[in-house]
Formats: sequence, structure tokens, C-alpha cells
Amino acid sequence: MSNTYLDQFPAEAKVVRAAFYSSFFALAIGGLFGIVQTLHRTDVYRFMDSADYYTVLTAHGVLLAITFTIFFLVGVFTWAVTTSLDRGVENLRFTWAWYGLMVIGTAMAAIPIFAGFTDSIDMSASVLFTFYAPLQGHPLFYLGLVLFVVGTWLAGVDWFRSWRAWKAEHPDERIPLPTFMVLTTTIMWYIATLGVAAAILLFLLPWSLGLIESVNPLLTRTLFWFFGHPVVYFWLMPTYMMWYVMLPKFSGGKLFSDPLARVVFVLFLILSVPTGIHHQYLDPGIAEGFKFIAMTNTMFLLLPSLLTAFTVVASMEHGARQRGGTGYFGWLKALPWRDPVFTGMALAGLMFAAAGFSGMVNAGMNINYLVHNTFWVVGHFHLTVGTAVALTFMAVTYWFLPQITGKALWSRPVALVQVVLWFVGMTFMSNAMHRAGLLGVPRRTAEPQYEGVTFEAAVGSVGELNAQIALGGVILTISLVLFFANVIATGFNGRSDELPSNGYADALSGPEDAPLVLDNLKLWTAIAIVLVIFAYTFPLLSIVQRGGLFGPEVITFPVSLESLAPIAAALEYGGLATVDGVASAVTGALEPGRIAIAEVVR
Amino acid sequence: MNVHTYEKLWLIAAMVLIVGFIATITYGSVGLGIAMVGDQQETVEPTELADDERFGEPRVEQIGDDEYEVYVVAQTFSFQPDPIEVPENSQVTFHVTARDVIHSFSLAGTNVNTMVIPGEVAEMTVEFDDPEVYGVVCNEYCGPDHHNMEGQVHVVPEDEFDLTEVSVDAPDEVDAGESATVDVTVENRMLDGLETTAELEIGGETSVEEVALEGGEATEVTFTVDPETLEADDSDVEWAVTVDDHEERGTVTVIDAGDEDGGDDGGETDE
Ligand code: HEM
Ligand SMILES: [Cu+2]
Ligand SMILES: [Cu+2]
Repeated sequence: MSNTYLDQFPAEAKVVRAAFYSSFFALAIGGLFGIVQTLHRTDVYRFMDSADYYTVLTAHGVLLAITFTIFFLVGVFTWAVTTSLDRGVENLRFTWAWYGLMVIGTAMAAIPIFAGFTDSIDMSASVLFTFYAPLQGHPLFYLGLVLFVVGTWLAGVDWFRSWRAWKAEHPDERIPLPTFMVLTTTIMWYIATLGVAAAILLFLLPWSLGLIESVNPLLTRTLFWFFGHPVVYFWLMPTYMMWYVMLPKFSGGKLFSDPLARVVFVLFLILSVPTGIHHQYLDPGIAEGFKFIAMTNTMFLLLPSLLTAFTVVASMEHGARQRGGTGYFGWLKALPWRDPVFTGMALAGLMFAAAGFSGMVNAGMNINYLVHNTFWVVGHFHLTVGTAVALTFMAVTYWFLPQITGKALWSRPVALVQVVLWFVGMTFMSNAMHRAGLLGVPRRTAEPQYEGVTFEAAVGSVGELNAQIALGGVILTISLVLFFANVIATGFNGRSDELPSNGYADALSGPEDAPLVLDNLKLWTAIAIVLVIFAYTFPLLSIVQRGGLFGPEVITFPVSLESLAPIAAALEYGGLATVDGVASAVTGALEPGRIAIAEVVR
Repeated sequence: MNVHTYEKLWLIAAMVLIVGFIATITYGSVGLGIAMVGDQQETVEPTELADDERFGEPRVEQIGDDEYEVYVVAQTFSFQPDPIEVPENSQVTFHVTARDVIHSFSLAGTNVNTMVIPGEVAEMTVEFDDPEVYGVVCNEYCGPDHHNMEGQVHVVPEDEFDLTEVSVDAPDEVDAGESATVDVTVENRMLDGLETTAELEIGGETSVEEVALEGGEATEVTFTVDPETLEADDSDVEWAVTVDDHEERGTVTVIDAGDEDGGDDGGETDE
């Protein structure tokens, strides 16, 4: 008889299962779009109109960055809270209610996005997942996003309820580490989502409904990034949780230090939000000083990640030595490399280290000018969310599936091949994206092939980079197919009695070593809020003062499929569009040894 | 809390690294004077750009010996002016705004890169040393034709650069046997004086006038064309006005007495 999560919490296991399956559904469609746009951009295979590319990209961004990741993590968090507190949810109906709300929200946002593919429905939301005004999506899109976020808020309420009920019964105990991680992440998320809630409810939704005439594009953009940066930590913190509480277990050892893990999550809670302006280093209308503050906070945010790197490696080493590994590096051989769960997570961690380097370039406020909005950035976040997060989630799925279905995984070898393929595919794709970005190839562009702009590679060529990107994309797609094959085939397996028990890693240095103050969530919340107020009050006031709360009069830009509408609008507003001027051939004029960086001085 | 020795060392190394980064960038920004796009510029009304002093006429302006200002408008799906022409060895300040949605103004492969937000004006100063053609892309999604939004910055040799504006006022048609007058306005928008010629070529004849202008001055040169010159095989007579490398072309239609339908092209041009 096994003692899986399903055996312990049969009702909760169903919720977790539903959340995971929703997440995988988003991953499947999002992934399909990923390969479509990869082949289109690189001009390897184009079957749709380039205007539709942006609809595909909107769906890819929303489905993967928001839907896939968040559905998965609410499942993981529900598992973490129930397992570590050893109690079921307080009210199962409530739990299903927030899950249902998230599903409804997703569906509502998806309808106008997908309607963008057809002319027969007069609806669209090809505004990308950043929905910068004055580009305007259908109201249903904004409403769906709001409901989805409200669903996650209620999920947070659920986890807090469990904790309070538990605390009433265990007044003198330390918060178990997994629950501590869930609670700090949830508080961070509450603060972060205030930005996007304000952007949508006060401005974008009323504007899309025609209740207000105009919006301040810089204000809604800043509110978006108030949320848009910390959302990254909403994905990363559950990933870190897996690295802290699961990876040591799979390596055969214990977590190195429980107190340090708490410190890391507290640092994330207080530093995640007051950094969003680092996405706006290039925005006119925000003073340099504010950008500098955001950069400083961002750099300090490196600290918890560097600490995590240490703890993860130290825990792995401990596990390896338990398994009989010896030597300075010899212990690496003793790790369970045949286990897809371990290997997937380890490779994800390795890629995250690489992502750290490109992230440091992004974070430097003047170096950022070279790479901002180029393909470099896309390369960067396919290492972070696209691998550190996504590959960890996929790998740990191989452990979770038996826990929530009571069925043995269909094939461990296929799973192992799958995680390795993801690593290989992403190495090709992301590396080439970074390099293309350095040449100035822009992101979010259906056809980065211009008449009057050439991208000069010092080594290799744009063609070679495109080939690598396309190859990487194809390998990633094969990896995804293997993943789904495993998930689906596991569903067809019969119940098994010999599954590993539910549980997570113990710590070498346990919570009793952690100062009590670490568990003082009120204190950390207060500090987090103060830091946000410091970082954001003046920039927001200044933006409103400059451009007005509802902005200057802007030209609303409903994103409809007909590309004619905006062109007509452009001409109407005095567009003297002299397109033919561009036709002059450039190539000859370019010197072979040109210096790529024009000097910016002041 | 007991922290392992190695962990302490790691923590210290991490802090040193972080402080080091911040210090490097602070030095870069303050010490080396590398500027960021900030909030130096006044806001504008995106719907009223046509009447705006700075952006009503997107253009290049000279403000010092080797210093120029460029006023750029980004809109779906083009940049104005395009191409932007500036001389080598110059210091150029770009002011960029958007007429409609958010765009970017990015010289491909360089760190000359800024977001362009309606209502706001991005300012950045760039030094251009050698003649070169830079491709400009919009790297922020701005609508279904975003991928077609591009432009160029031409950095040209000093002796090929001027800010001369030429406009020609010539009649569309003249009656046979009458003479025609062609007025050429030459404006020198550079700070230095300009000595050149205005040349009119019409019906196979060429006449040349000297033009001498102080910086910022404009003048009008008038050419009178004899009736004989206008006697061509065809009733449409082509003309061309050339000032340095600026050329304006058009046609004059000579109307015979009794011939009622005149030409409809030619006439007033403006560069
Ligand atoms: C089969 C695997 C994947 C492929 C081939 C792929 C490919 C791409 C490509 C080529 C772009 C750039 C489009 C452009 O800027 O023009 C892109 C954007 C993006 N991808 Fe992926 N991707 C994959 C998986 C993922 C995963 C797993 C995630 C996240 C969990 C992800 C998140 C994103 C996001 C957030 C964007 C940016 C969307 C935007 O700019 O609005 N991708 N992807
Ligand atoms: Cu960020
Ligand atoms: Cu664009």
C-alpha cells in the first residue's frame, strides 16, 4: 500500500490535478504557437499572414507566461500547504471556486485573443501580454485577466486560512518551510498585482468600454511593470521552492539550511516589487534618478538568487556524499543522473546560472541600451521562465503525477530524454537569440528582414543564427511532444500500489536555528510596502503631473485584424509616410570594419 | 542562526559583487557622463503635433559648429524625417515623439535606442565620427505592420552635407508667345554662410545665378524664360532647378490660342 498525496488528501489531489492539467493544456497550445512563430520569424516556414503573427505571439505570451506557470504553481502551493501543515483545505468548495474563477478568467481572455484569427468575429486582443496603451484590446480580454488574478488572490486566502487554522492548533511551532515559502510568495503577489489591477480597473477597462476617452500611456505602462517584474518572482519562487525542498530529496540528502531558505524568501518578498522600473530604463518621462533606484534594488535582488545557488549546490553535494560520492568534483558522478526529475531540475538550475549573466547585462541601466527590446531579451527569458521555471515544472511533474493520480509514470527513459532535449534545444535557441540581439535584431517582429537595415555579425551570419533558432525550436517542440506523451500515457495506466510516499526534504540545519523574527510576516510585509512606496510614489506622481491622470488626448488604437485601419489613421494624422526613401540600397555603403556602438554622450 | 563558514564567504563575495556592479554603473553614469533617456523634455500633445514648434516639421537643425538637433516623429509605420542626414564628426541630439502608439527609435546594432511614448519626448545625444549608414528599426510592437517600420540615419562626409532648402514656384501653363517666370527660393539653414549657384534648365537652355547667403538666410532668385525657349515640339516643356545636389523638376504646358486643355502637372514644388 503506498502513501501518496492522493492517499493522504484525495479531495485536494483532485484540485491539484485539475490545476496541473489546465496548466499543461496552456503549455500545449502555447508551445505549438512557439514553434509557429519561430519558423515564421526566421523565414524557415511561413503559412500565415504576418499580421496574424502578433495574434500568435499574444497567445504564446499569455498562455505560457501567465496561464501555464500560474496554474501549475497554484497546484504546487496547494500541495505544499496541505502536505507541510498536514491538514486538508478548510473548505473544499472555496478551493474549487478559486480554481473555477481562474478557468473562467482564462477563457474570457482567450476568446478575444483567438477571435483575432478570424475576420468573421469582430473582436480581437492582439496587444501582446504587455497590452501597452494606446493599443487597445477587447474589454473581455481585460476582464478575463482581472478574474484570473482575483482567482489567484482567493487561492492566497485559502492558503492563509489553512495556516491560521493550523497555527491555532500549533501555537508554538515554526511555520513549516514549504508553507512559509507559499505565504511569503503570496504576500509578494498581493502587493505586485495591485499595479496591474489599478492599470486595468481604473484605466484600461473603462477606456476599452468607452467610459473614458483617453489614458496616459506612460502611467499604464508603469503600472504594468509594477506588476510585470514581480510576476517573474511569482514563477521563480515556486521554482526555488522545488529546488529547496524537493531537489535535495531527489539527490538523496537534505536541505543544507532551512534558515537561509527563509532569508531568501524574505528578501524576495521585500525586493521584488520596487524594481519594476528597470524595464523602463529607456522610457522618456521617467527621471534618471528613479531608474537608478530601481537598478540598485535590482542588483540587491541578485543576492537571494546567489544564496540559492549556494544552497542548491551544497544540498546536492550532501546528497551525493550520502550516496557514496567522494572527491572535490567526483561527488557529481554519484548524483542520480538517470532520474528525470533530478536531472531536469539540475539542468534547469544550470541554465538559470547562464540566465543570471545575461540578466546582469539587462540590469545595468546603461548597458541595457544595447539590448533593450532586442532578441537578446527573448533569449534571456527563455532561459529564466522558459527553462529554469518551465523545465523545473516539467521535471517535477514526473514526481507529482504519480502522487496525484496514484498511477506510475508511463516511462522514465522517455522523461529523461525529454528533459535533456529541452536543455539542448534551449541551448541552441537561446544562445542564437542572444547573439542576434547584440546585432540589433528586434524582438516581437514578424519579419525582422528589412529593406534598409542590415544586421552585421562579426562571427557567422544572421542566416546561421536563424538556422540555430529554428533548430532549437524544433528540438524544444519534440521535447514537448514527449512530455505530453508521458502525461497522457500515465493517465491510461492502472492504479499502482508501489509508489513513493508523499513528502519533502528535511533540513540539515532546521527551523530551530532560524531566528524567530524571520517568521514575522507582518514585519516583512510592512517593510515591503515601505520600499514600494519609496520606489514608486515619486515616479508615479511625476508621471501623472507630466501627462495627466488620464493622459494627453491619445489616438485609441483598437487592434483589429485589418491592417488598413491603422494605416488610414496614420495618413489621416498628417502621415507623409515617405516609404520610397528607404529603398536606397545600403549594403554598399557599409564599411566592413565599422564600430557598432555609436557613442552616447551628454 | 548558525551559518556555515563557506556560506558566509559566499555571502560576502555576493555582496562585493553587487556593490561592485552598482559602483561600476554609477561611475559609468556620473564619471563618464553616459546619459540616459530621462525626463528633461517638456511633454507634447500627440494629437496636436502638426502645430507643435518642435515636431510640426520633423527635421534636422544646426545649433552649433558641429552640433545638431533632430526632431523625429514615429508613427504607424514610419519615421519622419527619413532618411535623417547628419554630417560626420558631429554631436547630434535626437528628440523623438510618437503620434499614435508606443514605438521605439533604435539604431540597429548600437546603443542608440529609446522607447517613444505618445505625449513624451525622448532625448538622446549621439556622437557620429565617420560616414556611415545606420538602419533604424522600431523594436516595440505597434500594430499589424510593425515589422515594416524602419528608417535610416545617413552620416555623410562634411562636404556633402548642407541644410539647404529649395522650393520652386513655376507656372503650370503659359500662353504661347508669352514669357514665363520661375521663382526659386533658397534657404540656408546652416549657421555658416553658403555660396553656390541656382541653375535652371528648360527647353535645352541653361541659366545660372549666383547665390550667396548668410547662415539662416533665405533668398529668392527669379529666372525669366523667353517665349522662344518655350517653343518645343511638344506643348509640355520640362524644367529642372538645381542647387548643389538639390533638384526640383516640373513641366510647363504651352497653350496655343484656341487650345483649351492645359497640362495638369508641373507647377509648384517644395522640397
Ligand atoms: C517550444 C518551445 C518554445 C519556442 C519554440 C518559443 C519561441 C519563442 C519565440 C521565437 C519568441 C519570440 C517572438 C518575438 O519576439 O517575435 C517567443 C516569445 C516568448 N516566449 Fe517562447 N518559446 C517556447 C517556449 C516558451 C515557454 C515555455 C515560455 C514560458 C514559460 C515562453 C515564454 C515566452 C514569452 C513570455 C515570450 C514573449 C512574448 C512577447 O514578446 O509578447 N516561451 N517564444
Ligand atoms: Cu524585471
Ligand atoms: Cu513598431
